[in-house]
Amino acid sequence: MSIESSMTSVTARLTRLVRGISYSKFWNYSVLRVISTLFVLCLFGVVVTVPLGMVEQGIFGVVIFLIATKIKNLPWGRGGILIMMSLSLVLTFRYLYWRFTETLNFETVLDACFGYTLLSAELYGFLCLILGYVQTAWPLERKSVVITTPMSEWPSVDVLIPTYNESLDVVKLTVLAALTLDWPADKLRVYLLDDGRREDFKQFAQDSGAIYLTRDNNLHAKAGNLNAALAKTNGDFVAIFDCDHIATRSFLQITMGSFLKDPKLAMVQTPHYFFSPDPFERNLKTFRVIPNEGELFYGLVQDGNDVWNASFFCGSCAVLRRAPLEEVGGVAVETVTEDAHTALKLSRRGYNMAYLAIPQAAGLATENLASHIGQRIRWARGMAQIFRVDNPLLGRGLTLGQRLCYVNAMLHFFYGLPRLIFLTAPFAYLFFGAHVFSASTMMVVVYALPPICLASITNSTIQGKFRHSFWNEVYETVLAWYITRPVLLAMINPKSGLFNVTAKGGIIEKEYYDFKIAAPYVILLLMNFVGLAFCLVDVTFGHGERLTALVNGLWVLYNTIILSASAFVANESKQIRQTPRVTADLNVMITKSNGRTLMCQTSDFSRSGLGLKVPANVDMSWWDIGEQVNVSMFRGEKESVFPGRVSKSGKTIGIFFKEDMSLDQRKEFAMMTFGRADTWARMWGKSEVDKPLASFKEVIAFGAGNIVQLVRNGLRRS
Amino acid sequence: MNILSIVSGKGGVGKTTVSANLSRGLRQQGLRVLSIDLDPQNGLRLHFNVSARSLGGLSRATLEGENWRNCVVQGGLGDSVLPYGMVNEDDRMDFEQVLRNNPNLLREQLERMELHKDTIVVIDTPPGASVYLSQALNAANAALTVLLPDAASYATLPKISSLIHKHCLIRPDFYSSKYLINQVDRIKQLSGDITDLLQAQFGQDSVWVIHQDQAIPEAFASSRVLSEYDAYCRGTHDFNQCVLKTQQLFDLSDLKETV
Repeated sequence: MSIESSMTSVTARLTRLVRGISYSKFWNYSVLRVISTLFVLCLFGVVVTVPLGMVEQGIFGVVIFLIATKIKNLPWGRGGILIMMSLSLVLTFRYLYWRFTETLNFETVLDACFGYTLLSAELYGFLCLILGYVQTAWPLERKSVVITTPMSEWPSVDVLIPTYNESLDVVKLTVLAALTLDWPADKLRVYLLDDGRREDFKQFAQDSGAIYLTRDNNLHAKAGNLNAALAKTNGDFVAIFDCDHIATRSFLQITMGSFLKDPKLAMVQTPHYFFSPDPFERNLKTFRVIPNEGELFYGLVQDGNDVWNASFFCGSCAVLRRAPLEEVGGVAVETVTEDAHTALKLSRRGYNMAYLAIPQAAGLATENLASHIGQRIRWARGMAQIFRVDNPLLGRGLTLGQRLCYVNAMLHFFYGLPRLIFLTAPFAYLFFGAHVFSASTMMVVVYALPPICLASITNSTIQGKFRHSFWNEVYETVLAWYITRPVLLAMINPKSGLFNVTAKGGIIEKEYYDFKIAAPYVILLLMNFVGLAFCLVDVTFGHGERLTALVNGLWVLYNTIILSASAFVANESKQIRQTPRVTADLNVMITKSNGRTLMCQTSDFSRSGLGLKVPANVDMSWWDIGEQVNVSMFRGEKESVFPGRVSKSGKTIGIFFKEDMSLDQRKEFAMMTFGRADTWARMWGKSEVDKPLASFKEVIAFGAGNIVQLVRNGLRRS
Repeated sequence: MNILSIVSGKGGVGKTTVSANLSRGLRQQGLRVLSIDLDPQNGLRLHFNVSARSLGGLSRATLEGENWRNCVVQGGLGDSVLPYGMVNEDDRMDFEQVLRNNPNLLREQLERMELHKDTIVVIDTPPGASVYLSQALNAANAALTVLLPDAASYATLPKISSLIHKHCLIRPDFYSSKYLINQVDRIKQLSGDITDLLQAQFGQDSVWVIHQDQAIPEAFASSRVLSEYDAYCRGTHDFNQCVLKTQQLFDLSDLKETV
């Protein structure tokens, strides 16, 4: 009892100390910051370079790891995370120091080739680890600024919605939602920028109250489209939405306050939220269960960037101040990621950037794996282009923090090749008998394993509910093969041609396995199986190097798990609904043609209808398919009525709205559903906090399921 | 005793339906409720499944000098109802003369009944200005004016308001005057507009709404309680809201019946 209580009091005192130091005024003085940094660097140098034997290094690694796991569970806030990062860096640098001083005396050319290849991949990994720590050291968690200026002095805003070949059904809702933004009507103009020059778009814009703009060429695609519109408009600010990003009414109220407070602020970005599952979520059935690929970026990375004044423009769901945007020549056209490049240019001119982690718009995720990969190829290529033509490490105007954050954003997309190296590295020994380390296997284990595990739990702590452990590996593995080539080509020649991956779009009528897309992983997977077989033979009938074979075998096993889960993503599952549904429980009232009514809640809504949760004991025979009904929806005391018909009966009732709903009714409907200020914010960051072991089990389960599926598909094909 | 008078400037607005459903809702909340029919049509009893053979009521009781207590009947569903009673024309005129002579007769009679102090007395009245309306307003602690969302109802508002002003607002034991718009249908432009207009004029809190719902007349026609006939219909929902607001009006939370 007394030991226990004294332990808790020690923990409590330590907690107070850590929190006290983390939030101390001490850090406000740059001299003190420099002195303490130098002091710590000296200590760091000693800890990193002190030589230890195998057993001592093993003990040191394990003890540091255990201390870090203890800190993970203490309420030390950001201070605790910084300590974990520091411990992780200590172990990592010890490994690096040892790697450079002890492991590179290769005996054969083959060893050296494989050895240096692996080393370069490792160096890339370390660089990303360190930059990642810098970037996410202390996310700003910026709050929305309330507008206090009298309404008569509010600035004017032009909402720009560029479109090229998307369907009018998708664009309609975006335009209508933009038209209902909560902003003085005389200071809000909505422009539909149609690069497709379509007559029905023009007609719709006229009918709805938006302004239709077009141009006689399609130069520089979206960037060119936006720039052409900038020349024809004159609002103080421009809000940019992709044509499928439906804004909530509060978008400008939430974002504009920051501009009025900070005259040097050039941009406010909000998250891209998707109300339909991306191919990973759909094919792996992880929608709203496991954080998706984008959540890490908008949940953590941008927020982390913000503390360094380095959050960047992502092309949509953002507001920019017109004057600075025009000062840098409008939206950048030199690269295919015009958004990030524009942000970089604004930062170079000394303008401030802001990120607000409040989803105020939502859109459609990519529809299938092929188009998803196509989009990522574009990002990767664009980032590599910026790295070449306007490298953030060079040139004027950026702070060190901004340079590091931008570099990390770009380097991030170089993961393709290193990832492929890690996926194939164990074959060097298993197939060719090459030794990539000139050190004993046990030494490699005691030096390498603790930092890998520590980095893993540190990142798990930082990323928490925005990314689950090991899923990162799955996401990257899927894209690795495809982004490697465009990134390398863009590095060699930033002006090289476009890579066209056709987006199929629409619905997927039948479940199918996209062998074409999955081929690289299936081949890698087969290689891994062979590797496992080699390993088994070595371990069973081996001659002295059984441990090395075993360690390589475990590495192969891990790769197999990640690869099999990754290959599952190509299993394109059926996608029946053309209009994705948003889960929401809104109060509605249904009136039947016979005058009877039902008060109930929605289970979901889409742009064309509603799903209803009907109380268990309501007579179901009431709701015949095709029955005409009126649906009342509510916003505060306001009630709006929409005519529709019953499209689905049973446990849930589906209602389709009539095609001939007037534009005013559609606008009202947008306000009652997609436009509600809290629609997306409610769902934001609601995923479970990461539990690394549980997460690993999940990945294994997906992998195992996939292998069964692959074999079955393979049999069916032959 | 909390007296709620249900009044209207015009006939056919669903006053009796509102009285009956409100009474029943309050009783379902565990409150003591007495529904009084002050309308010579004697129709309220139909809503409570009171047998048509019972002829007694407050009109005859008054003429015979009897305590009204003795005329309270239990409806088929357990509600306490005080019907107007069946009287011939001469008796009705005599009764109305009595009412004219003593403007506070209703209140005095209610006091003589010695009801529990928490009882809510819901009084249904005939439409328009009448001796009954004056009595109901003189006795009321709160008045609920029922109207339809149409021009005719809207036109009667000034008249009824002035009566409420004359009979009620001067009394310290009068809490408040509320409006209930019956059969609102948002599909109809006028219906929505008048509702919005009244809510703007008197304030959101003072204007209660019952929406158009076929379940309400259907429940009545099949002699069933609305909330049991269709628990999830809008009528049930709306009446529940009104019940809640009535409770707030008299500051009565759900006191469970002890007897």
